[in-house]
Amino acid sequence: MSLEQFKNRNVGTQNYVKLDLDHTPTSGWCQFKQVVKRTFKPELFVGLWVTLREMINALFRGKMHTTQYPFEKLPISPRYRAIHDMLRLLESGHYRCIGCGLCEKICIANCITMETRYDENQRKEVSEYTINFGRCIFCGYCAEVCPELAIVHGQRYETASEQRASFSLFEDMLTPIDQLNLQQEYQGFGAVSPNADENIKKTPLAY
Amino acid sequence: METATMLPEVTAAGVIIKAVLILAVIAAIAGFGTYIERKVLAFMQRRLGPQHVGPFGLLQLAADGIKLFTKEDIIPQHANKIIFAVAPVITAATAFIALAAVPVFPDFTIPLLDIYVPSIASDVNVGILFVLGMMAAGLYGPLLAGMAQANKWGIIGSARTAIQFLSYEVVTGLSILAPIMMVGSLSFVDFNNYQADGTWIVVYQPVAFVLFLIAGYAETNRTPFDLLEHEAEIVSGYVTEYSGMRWGLFFIGEYANMITIGVIASIVFLGGYNDFWIFPGWLMIIAKIAFSFFFMLWVRAAWPHIRPDQLMWLCWKVLMPLAVVNVVITGIVMMIVG
Amino acid sequence: MSEVQTVDNMVTISIDGVEYKAKEGEYILNAARANDVFIPAICYLTRCSPTLACRLCLVEADGKQVYACNTKVKDGMSVTVDTPNILEERRAMMEVYDVNHPLQCGVCDQSGECELQNYTLEMQVDSQTYAIKDTERHTANWSSVLHYDAGLCIVCERCTTVCKDMIGDSALKTTKRGGDKLDKSLKDSMPKDAYAMWNKLQKSIIAPSNGTGSTDCSDCGECIAVCPVGALVSRDFQYTTNAWDLKRIPAVSAHSSDGFAIYYETKPRSISDRREKIFRVTNEWNFVSLDGSARFGYDFENEDVTKDEKAFANAVEALKKAETIRFNSVISNEEALMLQTLKEKLGVKLYNPEVRPFQKFLKLYSEASGKSLYNSDSTKAMKCDFVVSVGGALRNDSPGLKYAFNNIQKMNKGAGLYFHPVGDKLIPTFGKNVEMFIHKAGLEEASLYLLLDLFADKSKLPADVKDYIESFENGKLIDMLGGDSEKFMAGFDKMMKKKEKFVLMVGEDYYGHPKAENLAKLIVLLEETAGFEVVMNPPKSNALGVALICDLDDEATGYTVGYNENGDFRLSALGDGDLDLPAFNQQEGTVTTLSKRVVPTNVAIDYGGYVLNDLMAELVDAPRLTIDWTPYLPTDKGYKSVAFDDLANSFDNAGNDNRGYLLDVTTKEVELPSVEKFDENATLEGDIVYRCNPPRQFSDFSDKAHQIFEAFGLYASEERAKELGSKVEVVFENGSIEVDVVVDKKMEGNIVALSDFKSAQNVYELFGESRYATVTIREV
Ligand code: SF4
Ligand code: SF4
Ligand code: SF4
Ligand code: SF4
Ligand code: FES
Repeated sequence: MSLEQFKNRNVGTQNYVKLDLDHTPTSGWCQFKQVVKRTFKPELFVGLWVTLREMINALFRGKMHTTQYPFEKLPISPRYRAIHDMLRLLESGHYRCIGCGLCEKICIANCITMETRYDENQRKEVSEYTINFGRCIFCGYCAEVCPELAIVHGQRYETASEQRASFSLFEDMLTPIDQLNLQQEYQGFGAVSPNADENIKKTPLAY
Repeated sequence: METATMLPEVTAAGVIIKAVLILAVIAAIAGFGTYIERKVLAFMQRRLGPQHVGPFGLLQLAADGIKLFTKEDIIPQHANKIIFAVAPVITAATAFIALAAVPVFPDFTIPLLDIYVPSIASDVNVGILFVLGMMAAGLYGPLLAGMAQANKWGIIGSARTAIQFLSYEVVTGLSILAPIMMVGSLSFVDFNNYQADGTWIVVYQPVAFVLFLIAGYAETNRTPFDLLEHEAEIVSGYVTEYSGMRWGLFFIGEYANMITIGVIASIVFLGGYNDFWIFPGWLMIIAKIAFSFFFMLWVRAAWPHIRPDQLMWLCWKVLMPLAVVNVVITGIVMMIVG
Repeated sequence: MSEVQTVDNMVTISIDGVEYKAKEGEYILNAARANDVFIPAICYLTRCSPTLACRLCLVEADGKQVYACNTKVKDGMSVTVDTPNILEERRAMMEVYDVNHPLQCGVCDQSGECELQNYTLEMQVDSQTYAIKDTERHTANWSSVLHYDAGLCIVCERCTTVCKDMIGDSALKTTKRGGDKLDKSLKDSMPKDAYAMWNKLQKSIIAPSNGTGSTDCSDCGECIAVCPVGALVSRDFQYTTNAWDLKRIPAVSAHSSDGFAIYYETKPRSISDRREKIFRVTNEWNFVSLDGSARFGYDFENEDVTKDEKAFANAVEALKKAETIRFNSVISNEEALMLQTLKEKLGVKLYNPEVRPFQKFLKLYSEASGKSLYNSDSTKAMKCDFVVSVGGALRNDSPGLKYAFNNIQKMNKGAGLYFHPVGDKLIPTFGKNVEMFIHKAGLEEASLYLLLDLFADKSKLPADVKDYIESFENGKLIDMLGGDSEKFMAGFDKMMKKKEKFVLMVGEDYYGHPKAENLAKLIVLLEETAGFEVVMNPPKSNALGVALICDLDDEATGYTVGYNENGDFRLSALGDGDLDLPAFNQQEGTVTTLSKRVVPTNVAIDYGGYVLNDLMAELVDAPRLTIDWTPYLPTDKGYKSVAFDDLANSFDNAGNDNRGYLLDVTTKEVELPSVEKFDENATLEGDIVYRCNPPRQFSDFSDKAHQIFEAFGLYASEERAKELGSKVEVVFENGSIEVDVVVDKKMEGNIVALSDFKSAQNVYELFGESRYATVTIREV
């Protein structure tokens, strides 16, 4: 289903089908006629047939609808906003987060906390980073504000756990280094727009 | 009639064994029925139904049983405690008592002990009347339950019970009157034997059969006549305040009744447990009961339920007159042919 | 010489068509700020000289483009802040600043409070027209506290300016950057001022002025505070948090008696440990400059204290049987009042060797002068143009007065005299009109007589004094005080040129001086006959408050309860006592500053234990909270009956200190005091030790702070330290102490300075009241 259908807000131009309803019977006789008509018209049997057909479809023609959820999952939109991921730089494998604190600042649920320090290489090191998922409302502002495309929403939407804390430390969210090749760019909030190149003015350089 | 005289003597032991058998088997089947119902409904909606407890979800009913048994038994504060507690038992008991007069399996002898187990626990010669009477008595279950629980939905449920069961009792009786006239007996065994030649009564009495089915659905509180506890209207009707095993008893009763109706329909109209072509009688009866059970589920999956006023209208203005006409015609035909 | 703002010296100017009043002789920028009008400006620092580095403050005054930060207002002047041309200039300037500025706001410590960010947004710079090749610029650590990132520096010169004009260390300077020359064609295509600014910017960068890689300064961190960008940051603070996460708590510095207005900036210390921690201290650097102890000595809190009921019961018992309570000046006015109440109700003695001499001296002074307190303060002092410091090691004792001394030289074309037995190489560098007299200890009276000779209106002097002064031959006093009379007298006229306002800074040496009474009287004479304003430096912290509130005793006897001091039972905010009490950053209350101002301070760090007020409730009677004592501070001493919550705590845009209230000073008419002659031979001879702390160290509390590392020791000039060796035993009349010898490169002369900030070392006992002692020093 394309998004266009949902974007069309002109009610009445969609493909609605109108039911051709009979008139409500007015006299007893009309009612009786209606009953007789309905009784002997095979409508009731059509109903029986439809259900039977679907059963046959399901059982023998492989048209079972059920997704066996915990074992099978439906694909979700790449823009879906679930438990966050912390991405790494593809080239070096170093985490992308620079510790600028913008996500911490913008978070309206006030649930991001981070620790930074001056490290041995004279860089700002993010020594710990957590999101309190008991509070997070998955608004996506953090992903949107992040200048480094470091914090993004991931696809883990199962947030039932004894301890939500178990989703929320830096290493829990960080792409495992051995799965770097599987790391996906996030397409939702904060992603670079497809025409970013056109929108950017080049700064003159003297070399 | 002659064959009956050739049977060994029916002993008390045999009857008790039969009774236990019926209780055990029917209760199990009733439970199993819930599983089948869920499965069939699921398939018809292209779902899988229960499937995680045991192979194919078979143990789901065990799980449900454990759940029902271990659930807290709640009796509402303002309920009439005794009646509240007794009501579900009435439903279940009447359902099983009704089965006493129904031949459930062909008879057999336990080999070593040499105990003869009859096909029927008690072959009362007014079998059909007894069964129908017992089922009618079952109406006290929902009625009392609804009234005892001090709950508006319960009251509405029991009111509906009263009108629905009483009204349709008339149709059941009248519809089955015609076959009774033909067979000339009220014993199930006689009905069975009457059709031993292979011609089913339904062939002579199609209208009676349809009326009986409709009335049977109404009496077992099945869609499209499940007004007693219709969730969309009255929360849960007469079972609103029930939980745990008390609630479970209503359902054992309901499923037992479904089987009873299936049994009656099979014996009275569909040729009983006579052999058919190469199929032995016991298989035939199981198949027939099974189908009639399946049909109930199928109907539930396919058809919507009706309003109480439509229900009454249907009963008194359509079905009852039809049944009367059917009885009269049957009588006339019997006079002419007989 | 009065400071009252009369309507006469106010002029009327109009800014963007609106009329405002402004002080005559004020810069347009300050006048605008005082009237809450915004004019963009980066490089200007209030109280320092304009450098014209940024040129952003360009405005149009009476039709001419001028720089608001160095053009004085004239009556009837009409100022336009934005003209199309000026807007264009400003935008071009901000573009220039952004050229080659690293895009690292994400990690930069200044992000969020960065003036480059702010003005870039304000001028709506969204694209860049100019480019030039970048020069390689390095980061460096200049001292234990300073981290400099040349890449981020916009060469606004605020750091060099504040260090020179305010702090006095002049430890930073601009140096050659070695950048490319600007393209000549730009001169015509670019706005004029932006081009000139860029031209200068391309040429310079900041470096320590001593030519080495490190600053060798007093580590006050004021340059960090004023830096508009992230170029100068504190090494300890760098990258530990973002500015906007910090909660600002207005407070008062606990260490020097200046009572600097500071903000403790706190946030939870980590993800797992949510206890608040002070991450840094900031200040309103346009209006108050901090010293190193105020800025870096902040983490002295008494951590993880819970209510220890047994210890509390013991403390109550101890106080009940105590004959003496010993304490120091790190205590709020309210707590001082509590101790005074204990004295009144339970009859305990209050022993405070730090403050007692000061209290006595204040009494002598007010008896002689009729004034309840000295009449000047550090803000007033800064407005004078001739400053004399006597009896104090200015650099060590009193950072605020040191800044004033220096600022007078730089901003008011001032002159200064510094009399002290211990030479300080830094003082003469404050200005060319500064003369330092390194005199013998014991000749303090002589220095005041010299001042009378130099400044007094002889006709007003009592005849005997006049005669006595005249009895000294030409220049004899000067020579006696270690000066070169000929040279001095030759330059003195120049020093005195156009000088109108004179201030005398009196240091701690005088308070415990054997001739304190005579000194006090001489000071009064100076005031009366030479027109000097006087400001005294209370020894430490809240010494003035203690001196005014408590009725101190001369000695401790019997069972002694020590509050942050030695005693038989110790109440301590240092975490090592028998009962814990809150440290200064965990308390609310008021402090009486050197400037006679009663200022409120607030709680920065939670405290879970008992406070002194709880003991009071148990012992005598007490209101619910410590701050409920505030309105009961003694009004006869100048305090006002104002509730703590009604005390303001801010500066206004004109830079007026509105914190708390000023003590009332009462005056009554008295006769001129009669003074004694001095004994030329009463000088101390032999090895002399001076009780004096290194800069940034004041008490156990500054010592506890992790960024204050100045050691407890015997400080000596380089030459003297060489003679002494690395560790010595100093033998006093009544005891001895073994200490390490520490070199203070800025010290001059043979006198050595023994620290007193560790109360456990009991240095006060060794010295007695005087700050000087003749000792024997043995190497060990
Ligand atoms: S999704 Fe929203 S609420 Fe959740 S961490 Fe990000 S900014 Fe905060
Ligand atoms: S906004 Fe991005 S780069 Fe900045 S701290 Fe958050 S995750 Fe890190
Ligand atoms: S100095 Fe200011 S503009 Fe430069 S990186 Fe730091 S925050 Fe950004
Ligand atoms: S270090 Fe900071 S204050 Fe100093 S010149 Fe550079 S930008 Fe200005
Ligand atoms: S503020 Fe006036 S030139 Fe910078």
